[in-house]
Amino acid sequence: MQITPARWIEKGHPMSMKNKAADWHEKYDAMIGTDKVVKNRSGIEIAPLYWPLDDPDGSYAEKLGFPGDDPMTRGIYPTMHRGRTWSQRQLIGLGRPVDFNARIKSILKSGASALSIIPCNSVYRGLDCDEVEPEILGTCGTILNTVEDMDISLKDIPIDEISIGLNDPNPFTMLAQMLVVAENRGISWDKITGTSNQSDYISHFVANHMFYRLSLPGARRVQMDTITWLAEHVPNWNALSIVGQHMQQAGATPAQAMGLTLSTAIQYANDCIERGMDPEKFLERFTFFFDISISFFEEVAKFRAGRRIWNNLVTERFGVTNPRAKRFKFHAQTSGLDLTRQQPLNNIARVTAQAMAGIFGGLQSMHTDGYDEVLSTPSEDSAKIAISTQNILKHEAHLCDVIDPLGGSYYVESLTYAMEEEILKVIVQIDEKGGMYKAVECGFVQEMIGASALEYQDQVDSGEQIVVGVNAFQETEDASSRPILKRPPIEQMEEQIKRLKEVKVARDPDVLARALQDLRDTAKSTDANVFAAEMDAVRAGATLGEIVSVLRDELGFGMPLVVA
Amino acid sequence: MIEPAQKQGLAARLLSGQPAALARAISLVERGSPTVSSLLKAIHPHLGRAVVVGFTGPPGAGKSTLVNAFIAEMRGRGKTLAVAAVDPSSPITGGAVLGDRIRMAEHTMDSGVYIRSLASRGHLGGLSASAARVADLMDAAGFDVVVLETVGAGQSEVEMAEMADVRIVISAPGLGDDVQAIKAGILEIADILVVNKSDLPLANRTVRQLESMLALRAKSDWKVPVLTTNALNGAGLPELADAIEHKAAKRTPKGTRDASSSRTRRLLAQSVAKQLEQEILADRTAETDAIITALQQADIDLFEAAARILKHYTERQQNG
Amino acid sequence: MNQDPTVPARVLVTKIGLDGHDRGSRIIAAYLRDAGMEVIYTNPWQKIEAVVTLAMQEDVDVIGISSLATDHLLVPKLMAALKQAGLDHVRVVVGGIVPDEDEADLLATGVSKVFHPGAVRDEIVSEVARLARDADNARPLD
Repeated sequence: MQITPARWIEKGHPMSMKNKAADWHEKYDAMIGTDKVVKNRSGIEIAPLYWPLDDPDGSYAEKLGFPGDDPMTRGIYPTMHRGRTWSQRQLIGLGRPVDFNARIKSILKSGASALSIIPCNSVYRGLDCDEVEPEILGTCGTILNTVEDMDISLKDIPIDEISIGLNDPNPFTMLAQMLVVAENRGISWDKITGTSNQSDYISHFVANHMFYRLSLPGARRVQMDTITWLAEHVPNWNALSIVGQHMQQAGATPAQAMGLTLSTAIQYANDCIERGMDPEKFLERFTFFFDISISFFEEVAKFRAGRRIWNNLVTERFGVTNPRAKRFKFHAQTSGLDLTRQQPLNNIARVTAQAMAGIFGGLQSMHTDGYDEVLSTPSEDSAKIAISTQNILKHEAHLCDVIDPLGGSYYVESLTYAMEEEILKVIVQIDEKGGMYKAVECGFVQEMIGASALEYQDQVDSGEQIVVGVNAFQETEDASSRPILKRPPIEQMEEQIKRLKEVKVARDPDVLARALQDLRDTAKSTDANVFAAEMDAVRAGATLGEIVSVLRDELGFGMPLVVA
Repeated sequence: MIEPAQKQGLAARLLSGQPAALARAISLVERGSPTVSSLLKAIHPHLGRAVVVGFTGPPGAGKSTLVNAFIAEMRGRGKTLAVAAVDPSSPITGGAVLGDRIRMAEHTMDSGVYIRSLASRGHLGGLSASAARVADLMDAAGFDVVVLETVGAGQSEVEMAEMADVRIVISAPGLGDDVQAIKAGILEIADILVVNKSDLPLANRTVRQLESMLALRAKSDWKVPVLTTNALNGAGLPELADAIEHKAAKRTPKGTRDASSSRTRRLLAQSVAKQLEQEILADRTAETDAIITALQQADIDLFEAAARILKHYTERQQNG
Repeated sequence: MNQDPTVPARVLVTKIGLDGHDRGSRIIAAYLRDAGMEVIYTNPWQKIEAVVTLAMQEDVDVIGISSLATDHLLVPKLMAALKQAGLDHVRVVVGGIVPDEDEADLLATGVSKVFHPGAVRDEIVSEVARLARDADNARPLD
């Protein structure tokens, strides 16, 4: 039964708890607008939030609290998914910009509310399409070498209305291209919203080497320059997304992934403070990106613990009081590593369980994998099922009607404490190494992750961890019944290469040369802003490959620490 | 059974500088196959040209990165190099992951550089049993400089002394106990000491510690320099290369012959010891068992037991 | 010449193309080492010519290519380059994400085995060991 403030007084509760509940109710009402009346199939009215009938020692108030308030365990907003559900941010990327544009339109039509753009692997490596064998082009993402490519990709897309996630590692050429496209379209930069999804160079150095282009110190310089520049010019853009996904995919346990990610966030916050930035302001723009494995309750607890730790951490370490700066905003992606090649349709069930864990964990944005993810880049059909999965959980299973519905479960609360302890242990270890930057420089983090990866593999190999269809419940399958995936026809890629060559030739060579020289000089200097120079280079027609090449020359080529 | 005549083919190709032949020869020598002797005979007259440089030091000192920078420096001086990078094999499984050449990747496509990863294969110490022969093969293949890179451990300092014309011992600031990380034995045989990662704050202190330890060494006609390098940006490499060339110039034919003779003697002693070891382990005769029991019961001591076994085997040999 | 079983097999574990994920290669390297083999381990993004040079200098028995994305599409070029360099006794295996329709093509170019996700340690180790012995038997006489 709904506990109203009146009933609190009846039961003789301490004033503070009563006030906190009333306080939350007030904020909730203000934020929700017209609250719908929610009734289940049996006619029972469902309240937005449930909390214990009494809290004599105040431990509920202290440890869990109300959503949107210290310590944030139950969520970062008073309304959470009852008010606004998460952004359905599906990753898309496809060969040529024109094909990609068609896919964006189709995905937006089928219900996605935000975009996440994935470039071709060649782009990740910092190479233009004319520097790579055509057969491996455009197979996993879109070729985005120039402003023209970005313009075609975003044709007729209202970039001032949609939140855009750019999977765009340091030095962020896609961001520069997109901003120039906006400029050319007369769109003011303060209308541009979204996130630099791959701005966490430390996670790339450690665990996603394909994204790692510049040396560690070089990447640090460009990241800080870019954050500074964005704070001034694109105020609604999230410059930083700190990524736990790569490390968990590389084998870190969920607690380790959370601990290492929070340690990275501390490192970046310190770097910003050193640059004279104010944590009360810049922390508002910190976002996170996590993996969701199929270890259901563990993931729910991981997110709740992470959210609580971050809230306490920024208060203690940075003295933050601005509530918006304490919010642990995160995007999450269901883990492709839990999916199997064997009996691929089973992956739909897996993604469903993972998505549920993410929802109960309180995410703000989600990507669900297609069931054929393990076979190659997902097909259009499987991408649609992935979105439908989210819609079914929302609208049919009604998972959004109550904020933090698992809160108060004996198991979940106990596990949240336990995960909190494990996560804090990792943060302490990293602190002892002098912070995350030093810890990854010397290979400490890589060894931790490698050891966990091997341990998990041993568990699967020995059958201790069952994987349906792989080490148990196997079936003989007819390989011909597996979905065949389309790759872009090689002629299309060759056409794209030809197009790039034409674009290059059409540029003003003097303007280009000056802009690239300027970029070079800026990189060599210690106080000029590299991203500002990069913007000019993009305006002058410089390609991704040319820009990355200059920066690799001046700031160092990024070779990950390969621990044999 | 491969005929010696065919081995001649391999030798000829190796001597003419074909890297595939060198690669094949190293594999055969590593296996210790008896058919290798004609190969070694064929290359013997061609030995002694290359300068053999040994790099050793504790993990974390940046050996491979330094060797990488050294290769670049020497290539700049027009020299060709062959590198044998040795890593320990697992004593339990016998396997190894060999990753030293990761730090030398920039030289893979340079035909003036040959790199080979070797595992110690049960050989106690940093080097492998065949390292000396591998160095000879590289010498015969015509490389100007042969680099032996190894983690200093066990007997390796003595072996290194016998194998290398110039012995470099590398350390870096902040490796736990700093110079204590370098075993005293290694320090004794070093021709050049290098403090890598010279950009780190404690580098100068490490240099001073090494210099004071050197003062304790026996006097010789070679003054051991303590150099600083930053392998990542190349600082100190020209000076290191100069010091190496300076030391190498002091080689004499007699010195080289003596070292070779001493090395060969050690190789023979190790081979004999290994053969005896295998025999004793497999021996179940009553005589041997009796000696072992006596030793076990402490009726005789180890020295006496060993003497008895040797006498027993010698007599058995004489009696056919 | 039959390989002496006490002589460790030598396996090059490497990556070509664009992908950089090394979780798989590190696990494989550990498996093979624990089975008594010598693993030459490299950085990712190796060019085809470099893989050939590495295989030659290290006189390996087997090359293991770890492939995600579509990097396996470059393997036929590697097979051709190995043949041209006189290294076609070297056995090549590919592990990672390889669509079924591409597997047949790879085997047709001479790849000995494709390992998919879910392959277990024992299977991988015994197959690589067997291929190493094959490679040794197939070496041209010196």
